[in-house]
Amino acid sequence: MWIVLVGFIVGIVAGVLSPFTFPVIYARYLSIAVLAALDTALGGLRASLEGTYDNGIFITGFFTNALLAAGLIYLGDRIGVDNLYLAGVAAMGIRMFQNLGFIRRALFTRWGLLKQHQTGPASRPDSSVRG
Amino acid sequence: MRLRHIPWAIALVCVVLGFMLSMQFKVQKQVALKDLTTYQRAQDLAQQLEKAEQERDLLMQETEQLRTAIRNSAPTADVAEQLELAQLHAGLIPMSGPGVVVTLDDSTRPVQPGENPMTFILHDEDVLLAVNELAAGGAEAISINGQRIIGRSEIRCTGPTITINGVRTAPPIVITAIGNPDVLESSINMRNGIADELKTWGIQVSVKKESGVTVPAYKGSLKLQFGQPAKQEVSKQ
Repeated sequence: MWIVLVGFIVGIVAGVLSPFTFPVIYARYLSIAVLAALDTALGGLRASLEGTYDNGIFITGFFTNALLAAGLIYLGDRIGVDNLYLAGVAAMGIRMFQNLGFIRRALFTRWGLLKQHQTGPASRPDSSVRG
Repeated sequence: MRLRHIPWAIALVCVVLGFMLSMQFKVQKQVALKDLTTYQRAQDLAQQLEKAEQERDLLMQETEQLRTAIRNSAPTADVAEQLELAQLHAGLIPMSGPGVVVTLDDSTRPVQPGENPMTFILHDEDVLLAVNELAAGGAEAISINGQRIIGRSEIRCTGPTITINGVRTAPPIVITAIGNPDVLESSINMRNGIADELKTWGIQVSVKKESGVTVPAYKGSLKLQFGQPAKQEVSKQ
């Protein structure tokens, strides 16, 4: 888990110290790309908690999602649908909230805070004295 | 834990994500700053405008006082100077100086069947608009195809020609104006100004800045049939 945090901090520091700034005209596209990247990252986290994580899917998904989102919004601007941006934001937002919900539930289950539903009868007095 | 599987790829992805996020924060800060500076600039300009207007009012008052003083003082050698100044403003003597030469011509686009050919030729309104813009740009003298424009000049359509000062003239219309060449050029060429408007109809507009042009004198009749000099002071407008 720590590699995630370290990598993240390295990225932020690199961005802050970098002399290169993104042209302000494309700020919209960068915003949606960042949103898509965040969504993919959360999706990856969810997948790892679910046990369905796949490296290839995550890596490729990360870059393609960001590029596709920005590309879609750019296309929207070109064809005259300026508010496609809102659709993009809404879609990413919904997915992020869903993923966050799932992650929360999975973490609670993992940490034993959420009672797992047992398949047998409800009361099992012996389970509490297990070592 | 399956985290063993994920070291370097995930690390790279996290670095990229962090980088993108910090870029985004930087860009947003710039965007916010840009909005702020635009607003501040508008405020600054408004203040400057108010100050300039106050100054102008003060100067106008001063000018009025000085003019009254001159009128009331004894006229001697100043008379010749005053006369020349009056003639210059009246357009009775030629004037030279830096300025622009604006050329307006009919559209060369072939007329499609069903289109009204009148929409693509130069009209008197177009010339009037151009002259108005130049005057607004501070032109001190304007002449059109050799005719000096004075307060009495008309610019009017007469069939396929335009009559100015009673003289018929046809396109291409060459307007010579004396003033600040940059200001005059931008008064014609500014976005959504005359040049843009006329070019949508295919009217050819060209503006050239000149460092020295001459505007001829008004050649029309100076006889007054109806008006007389008003002896009393015209009350302040």
